[in-house]
Amino acid sequence: MAQAGIHAGFPSPAQDYMDGIMDLNKELVRHPAATFYGRVVGDSMVNAGVDEGDVLVIDKSLEPQEGDMAVCFIDGEFALKFISFKGPQKGGQEAHKPGVSYNILGCKDLWLLSGNPKYKPIHITEGNDFTVWGIVTYVIKKIK
Amino acid sequence: MDCNNFFVSCERAFQPQLEGRPVVVLSNNDGCVVARSNESKALGMKMGVPYYQLRESANGRRIEVRSSNYTLYGDLSRRVMGILREACPELQVYSIDEAFMVLDGMTLDQARELCRGLVRKIRRWTGIPVSIGIASSKTLAKVANHFAKKYSGYRGVCVIDTDEKRLKALQLTPIDDIWGIGWRCAPKLQKMGVNTALDFVQRPSAWVHKHMGITGVRTWQELQGEDVIEEENHERRQTICTSRSFAETIPDLDELTLRISDFAGICAHKLRKEHSLAYEVCTFIQTNPFRKDLPQYYPAATTRLEMPSSNTPQIVSAALRALESIYKEGFQYKRAGVIIANIIADDAVQGDLFDTEEEQRQKADKVSELMDKFNSSGSNMLRVASQRPGHYAEGIRREHCSPLFSTSWEDLIKVH
Repeated sequence: MAQAGIHAGFPSPAQDYMDGIMDLNKELVRHPAATFYGRVVGDSMVNAGVDEGDVLVIDKSLEPQEGDMAVCFIDGEFALKFISFKGPQKGGQEAHKPGVSYNILGCKDLWLLSGNPKYKPIHITEGNDFTVWGIVTYVIKKIK
Repeated sequence: MDCNNFFVSCERAFQPQLEGRPVVVLSNNDGCVVARSNESKALGMKMGVPYYQLRESANGRRIEVRSSNYTLYGDLSRRVMGILREACPELQVYSIDEAFMVLDGMTLDQARELCRGLVRKIRRWTGIPVSIGIASSKTLAKVANHFAKKYSGYRGVCVIDTDEKRLKALQLTPIDDIWGIGWRCAPKLQKMGVNTALDFVQRPSAWVHKHMGITGVRTWQELQGEDVIEEENHERRQTICTSRSFAETIPDLDELTLRISDFAGICAHKLRKEHSLAYEVCTFIQTNPFRKDLPQYYPAATTRLEMPSSNTPQIVSAALRALESIYKEGFQYKRAGVIIANIIADDAVQGDLFDTEEEQRQKADKVSELMDKFNSSGSNMLRVASQRPGHYAEGIRREHCSPLFSTSWEDLIKVH
């Protein structure tokens, strides 16, 4: 029944799981109230093993840490990026338009790095309409 | 606890680009405005304005319009209430975006700290901004909540803990903003010179009793700080069921449709008699278990309503949708029924919504009442046209509906 709001069975079915049945939700979702899912579009994380069509498990309750893969909202769309407070490492990607440093989280500078050399690191400045929407905790990939 | 501009906040949770912009959400069927962002309020957009009269822009700013997406709002509501319940197991969920927490056994400072933490946590975890009012009664807590919403200095939590604060708050609160003072009652009170909540509590309780009965006295006591309004859910039945075994077995959908319509109509009537509304309508059909020689089939299906209802046409159509999803040819059905579940008080529905749609709702209720009257003769002369199979399937209008970001794999946010 697609979205008609109809489900089989009686109202409020008991939600007791039988012993021994492994529940993927319990494994993949640490904070159910804060967990949402996203669908990957494009190739910005191919070198990190994340491809178009993959499902992201996104936990909004987590504080961004160095190196976290995060769903960011920047300039009008959701983007999949690595969080970096240190900035791009030497010999790595070249910075894209370093601007005024902007205190978004604590007093740290913030860089967004992609997993594809095609996309330059982004230095978050005041000119960006930016939030860290959630932290990616798992990537679900369809193989077959 | 009360969510701020809840429907708009749900839309923004998955569409951050709407942040800071004027947004309105339309009622079912894109009828009229039922929720506004602060920016829309500032532009003078009013509740209840029909969609066709809505200006596309105001002061040169484009107005973002969304159809109501109750699946999305319901999911976010469940998350918000889950976070509250974890912190305060004695949670009384009052409507999709309001709940009462019992904070006994805590100092005021502890309660304030807990609630400040909850406001931050809910915002971060779900994206929904909420406000919390703390006071010694539910009605006063609602007053405190208004202040928490209105002034950012409270950081989401306002406490009425002294008599001085209480009287000051009541003086600043118009009588029609008081929880429990209905839209019928407020103009009456204003005519008698009661304009603020302070005017109201300064009247003797005998005066209140004379003009408003015992419910008015309860509100009056609550505003004095006495906690007298009990959680209503306990008093209410959890389900209403109407079912019958048939004298003859029924094989065909048309006949079942008539029976299920009648059962659903009876349930809706019971709901209205109890001043309740329901979210879920379940239909079940069964073959005769004693006829082992015949094929057996015992299906049931539940339709979740987008808005809780006690309206006969809505309950009937929900029951029939469930019936159509389970009916199979080739069986001799012996018994069938309708179960109404997830029942709430009919005054528990988000005030904003129904204050503005009150007239429409009254009309719909009038229809139901008339049907009750005619049908009480036992002949069920009046039925809703939507009883005819297939007829009700005509879609409702939802031209600006957001995807089901959090409840459908097809509708997930797209991450580039």
